[in-house]
Amino acid sequence: MKPFEEQFTAWVDGKLTGADLAEFEKQLAEHPEAAAERDDARELGKFLRGHPTAPPLANPDFFNHQLQQRIAAETPRPVEKKRPFFWSVPGLAWAGAFCLTVSLVLYKTTIPAVPPTARARSDYYAQIVEIWSKSPNVTASTVYSPEDDATVIWLDGLDYIPANYALKQ
Amino acid sequence: MNELRPNPSNTVPMESPDVATGPDDLELVARCQAGDASAFNELVTRYRNRAYAMIYNMVRNEQDAWDLAQDGFLKAWKSIGKFRGQSSFYTWLYRILMNVTIDSLRRKQIEGGTEFDDEIGLHNIAPGAATTPKCELEPVKRISDKEIRQRIDEAIAKLSPEHRVAIVMREIDGLEYTEIAEQMGCSLGTVMSRLFYARKKLQALLKDVYETI
Repeated sequence: MKPFEEQFTAWVDGKLTGADLAEFEKQLAEHPEAAAERDDARELGKFLRGHPTAPPLANPDFFNHQLQQRIAAETPRPVEKKRPFFWSVPGLAWAGAFCLTVSLVLYKTTIPAVPPTARARSDYYAQIVEIWSKSPNVTASTVYSPEDDATVIWLDGLDYIPANYALKQ
Repeated sequence: MNELRPNPSNTVPMESPDVATGPDDLELVARCQAGDASAFNELVTRYRNRAYAMIYNMVRNEQDAWDLAQDGFLKAWKSIGKFRGQSSFYTWLYRILMNVTIDSLRRKQIEGGTEFDDEIGLHNIAPGAATTPKCELEPVKRISDKEIRQRIDEAIAKLSPEHRVAIVMREIDGLEYTEIAEQMGCSLGTVMSRLFYARKKLQALLKDVYETI
């Protein structure tokens, strides 16, 4: 059985029907003032509905504006677009390292490692461009000896070589 | 009591929007769910007056009603992704606004240390007995609309948050018991009990007003 308060409320609102209504009204026989109470409660409801107290919303456009601002403030901002990795410090460091590696590889693969001694064995031998002598029989030529790694200046037609021109060891 | 069975339609009165033209609510909701804040702005324009009035009826303060309506709409925006269209948009919004309002009223009650006792003066009243005071009214006294509103505001402010919400939902918003129970998260019996005491108190506080006019 429902408490009296619940049944009374349902009775006021006209929600009690059938057997429930009959039984409750039987209970109310002991309370002759109940009908007046019900009418009074209904009068109160009518009064409240007839006197809406809410004032109109002031500045409705500002209401929207403020709300939009709050929405914007609380919506997470899109993550700032990062600079390409290449332009960052680590990116530049990696790029530098890469360039250095490529340079080394190119150096190793395209420039053969030539020992300093081999560099002297160039195909460009010494050549006599001009000679000057009193005797027209004098000729000069050069000979390169790879074994000795030496270029010899060969003079022909000389009668003798003065002692002070002799090659010194 | 047959009419007290849950109503599956789950509707809240006053669903018709302020602005009847334009895309329907569900279309706007779909756009909101895609992140379109302007669509939500349109929904706010449709329901802001209704939401504000509903909240004002609970809190009886214009600034509080404004702030709570803002909070409610903001919460709705944040939760709009969860709206599945099982009820109308306004029903869904109404529930959010109501929860925000009830939470605020409860918080104020705790912070202010105010103890609402709706049963003050009702303890020694026999069930069914007349509880409204017999007051002699000056027959020539005419109460202005402003005074009436003030009296209603004062009377409703004296109710506890739960009783206030119940009476406003029932008498002003016109909700059924099942809808009130669903919104408040309590049983039908609790709703009817709250209505009983809220009415008794309001009758005691306002009888002189509504009998005069």
